[in-house]
Amino acid sequence: MSESVRQYFEDIQVGDEYLSPGRTVTEADIVAFAGLSGDYNVLHTDAEFMKTSIFGERIAHGLLGLSIASGLGTRAIARPFATLAFLGLRWRFKGPIKIGDTIKVRLKVSAKRETSKPDRGIVTLQRHVLNQRGELVQEGDTELMIERRK
Amino acid sequence: MPRYFEDLKVGDGCETPGRTITAADVLGFAAISGDPESLDLTTGESGLPPRVPDLLVMAITSGLGFRAPAELPQVLAFMVMDLHPVRPVRVGDTIHCRIRVAAMRPMKHAGVVVEKREMLNQDGDVVQQAEYKIMVARRPRE
Repeated sequence: MSESVRQYFEDIQVGDEYLSPGRTVTEADIVAFAGLSGDYNVLHTDAEFMKTSIFGERIAHGLLGLSIASGLGTRAIARPFATLAFLGLRWRFKGPIKIGDTIKVRLKVSAKRETSKPDRGIVTLQRHVLNQRGELVQEGDTELMIERRK
Repeated sequence: MPRYFEDLKVGDGCETPGRTITAADVLGFAAISGDPESLDLTTGESGLPPRVPDLLVMAITSGLGFRAPAELPQVLAFMVMDLHPVRPVRVGDTIHCRIRVAAMRPMKHAGVVVEKREMLNQDGDVVQQAEYKIMVARRPRE
């Protein structure tokens, strides 16, 4: 990535907003995530059992939603942040993501703060994951350490 | 037999088996997340192996919880997760997870359990710390 297109701490403003493209979550995504994570919980893998549950069908792993949201977030921000480190995340699972649902992510810079080191700052990014009906299915705040301009 | 809210108590804990994270895991995660940033398999700093995305480490440790030696609680929902990376994980590292019940709160039809999870590498260093807030089923009445 060339230096000129990245957003440094000074370029990022509280209130900056981005909306990602959508992505339809498929059965294949859930099966692949079960294999990758090793989480074969019946919630995600047993169609017959889930017919009897309050959801009526298999649902995506919460962490699959977060993983897809992270990819959508990267695609939403055309000029990537000059991120030095991912500091932490607080994530809330508000509702199910079902097979065939299409999710998108709304991102907003909610806070910025300087640190004792002059070459970096900390940005808080708020992410809302919405389904095709506009319902909030997941949300959370991520803290990123961002480089400053030299 | 699954364990219910009534079967758990604060302080319960276990350690999971380990799992070696490979370049294939990193590629698989990049395909699922669709995050081009997680597809970076270039050699790390000072010739070290490539770094593993923090969210992949988190995903793998979520699955390790199901391989814990203890019977699993009947989880109804995953409510909140806090995640804090502590040090880098690299391709070839073998991680395992230490899980402890930190708090419990009964509700009418279920219970909320707070688990502290520490992810450790093959040297015993903590690589991530997480807190899971999950909803666990209460024991059905006879």
